[in-house]
Amino acid sequence: MSAMTEQPTTAPQPAAAAHRGSLFRAELHRFRARRFVQVLLGLAVLGWLGAVVIGLLNFGEPTEADFADARQQMEEILASERAWYAECAAEAERAGELAEQMCGPGIDASTWRVEDFVQTAPFDFAATADAGAMAFAAAAAVLLFLIGATWIGAEWSHRTIVALLFWVPNRVRVMATKIGVLALAAVAIGLAAQLAWLLMAWILRTFVGDGQELPDGFWGDLLAVQGRGVLLVVLISLIGFGLANLVRNTGAALGVGFVYFAIVENALRIYDPMLERWLISTNAAALVAPDGVRVVDYSVMTTGPEGPPSYLVTNLQGALVVGAAAAVIVGIGVWLFARRDLH
Amino acid sequence: MPAVEMVGVSKTYRGRGGQPLKALDGLDMVVGSGGVHGLLGPNGSGKTTSIRALLGLVGVDGGSGTMKVLDQPVPSGLPGVIGDVGAMVETPLFFPGFSGRRNLRLLAETAGVPSARVEECLELVDLRERADDRFKGYSLGMKQRLGIAAALLKAPRLLILDEPSNGLDPAGIRDVRELIRRLGSDGRTTVLVSSHLLAEIQQVCDSVTILARGRRVASGPVAEVLSRAGTGDVRVVVPDPAAAAAVLSAAGFSVSPTPDGQVLVHGAPAPGQITRVLAEHGHYVEELVRVTPDLESAFLAITGERA
Ligand SMILES: Nc1ncnc2c1ncn2[C@@H]1O[C@H](COP(=O)(O)OP(=O)(O)O)[C@@H](O)[C@H]1O
Ligand SMILES: [Mg+2]
Repeated sequence: MSAMTEQPTTAPQPAAAAHRGSLFRAELHRFRARRFVQVLLGLAVLGWLGAVVIGLLNFGEPTEADFADARQQMEEILASERAWYAECAAEAERAGELAEQMCGPGIDASTWRVEDFVQTAPFDFAATADAGAMAFAAAAAVLLFLIGATWIGAEWSHRTIVALLFWVPNRVRVMATKIGVLALAAVAIGLAAQLAWLLMAWILRTFVGDGQELPDGFWGDLLAVQGRGVLLVVLISLIGFGLANLVRNTGAALGVGFVYFAIVENALRIYDPMLERWLISTNAAALVAPDGVRVVDYSVMTTGPEGPPSYLVTNLQGALVVGAAAAVIVGIGVWLFARRDLH
Repeated sequence: MPAVEMVGVSKTYRGRGGQPLKALDGLDMVVGSGGVHGLLGPNGSGKTTSIRALLGLVGVDGGSGTMKVLDQPVPSGLPGVIGDVGAMVETPLFFPGFSGRRNLRLLAETAGVPSARVEECLELVDLRERADDRFKGYSLGMKQRLGIAAALLKAPRLLILDEPSNGLDPAGIRDVRELIRRLGSDGRTTVLVSSHLLAEIQQVCDSVTILARGRRVASGPVAEVLSRAGTGDVRVVVPDPAAAAAVLSAAGFSVSPTPDGQVLVHGAPAPGQITRVLAEHGHYVEELVRVTPDLESAFLAITGERA
């Protein structure tokens, strides 16, 4: 490294004179440069293309062949139903009962329609819009959980966050900036996911759609679901970030997440079915689903017309529960970071 | 105005099993403005801990002492002066998947340092050619040099380097020492460099604080502090040690033979005298070395003197 001895020491430059430093901009650059983020987003695009292709192949107007298949299937089922009824009627006769009473009304082939047995159907956007928006929100949430956890987990495993304090000693500001960049990315990716659903739906409607008009109020309802879907993505990304920041390790954070969803939640469901309404996954679904999620306690036997007891987890409750979980997990991590010795 | 001031600073860690471990025990340290100041002490004496305390990375024991960096209290005044402080503590910390250049650019961006300065600093540590390689592919020495480059980015008024020659090859060590010397004599930069190597401190520092078990045991200009520790002995190699010893003895030197057939002259003020006296009597010196104390004996000497 001879250059080191040959180079004159550079004259000091007033650093802040020409450029204003920006931790936010630097963090944004780092986020975009991360290989992990790039790979995940690339895989997501590939997955989307795959879903579009599968959709194009599976939706559509039924062909003659589809009708022939459907007819054959209907006849088979009809035959087996008739055989069963004949057997039942014979048994009733032996027992001296009326066939109608024991086996129900006879089989009326005239009410069976071939269309009901056709597997292939054109794409019906009005019927699938909400479910699609929820599925895209869920996929984006999983993605952002991973991105949020690695975003801060990598900093802890390489301790670069400590080096950053040589530049910005205000620890709360450092954390707030990292959280801000993540939240911004989560909004962007959450929105992109919803746009991807709309684009996919447009492609399917154009090429294999049912040609029906969308009902009144369709877009308002769908946009509300999509908006709540973006909110879910942001909150889940913060939970991923918060967990990794608490345990200071990406792998351990993912492990905690897995243990919670795979074991803790199921154990709680078994312990008391009505605890379902407080679980993160239920509340996450309720936050996005059009009318929330109804939790039904099937363990209670009832004969009354009102059915078993149930509880409606509303959109609002979903938002509050998931939001509170994110706030607590992130809050404790930031508080510890602001106070701890760092090495 | 001193660049760094620590008065009576203590830091207690929870050791294994919960018993307290005093890493700093009422440490005092004053680093004058300008020049190179050494922080010398054996492993575990508290060098890194004191640097971490100065940078606000670890909290010191409640109510213990005061710290100032560039005249600002630590940690409350740190944000105000951090733009003038460059530091590398223990090991360089970078993102392994990013290139050296990208790592520096991200740091530069946080402080508004122009990207031309990134190139300058890469040049200063001779990393230009490998700047686009990923950090994880760097050798230990290259990582260390990138760490030094990062500390230099801000063109800091106070540069803090914790054992900067760790992991460097001899040429790298020489270059880092020259760089430190050059920065220390540019009239605006104060360099605080820690080391467990006495020779390193002797070569690059103007003044020194010597640490042992979290306390200051000596401080002042390097020559002065080390002369207190120095033995003043000179080791002489001649073909006929016994005769030479007799000659020197007769000339008034205090002499003792060594087991490996050399002559040890105690408290010799000027080695030139020894050469002259021996030459006059037909003994030609093959080798003459001033016995510098190793760190261990320097410590013993210094702490012994003060006890
Ligand atoms: N995070 C820590 N937890 C507990 N003890 C520590 C920690 N860091 C340093 N120490 C202890 O503090 C003392 C000083 O360490 P350090 O400042 O790293 O010494 P040096 O840099 O001079 O080698 C040592 O005894 C070390 O074991
Ligand atoms: Mg150390």
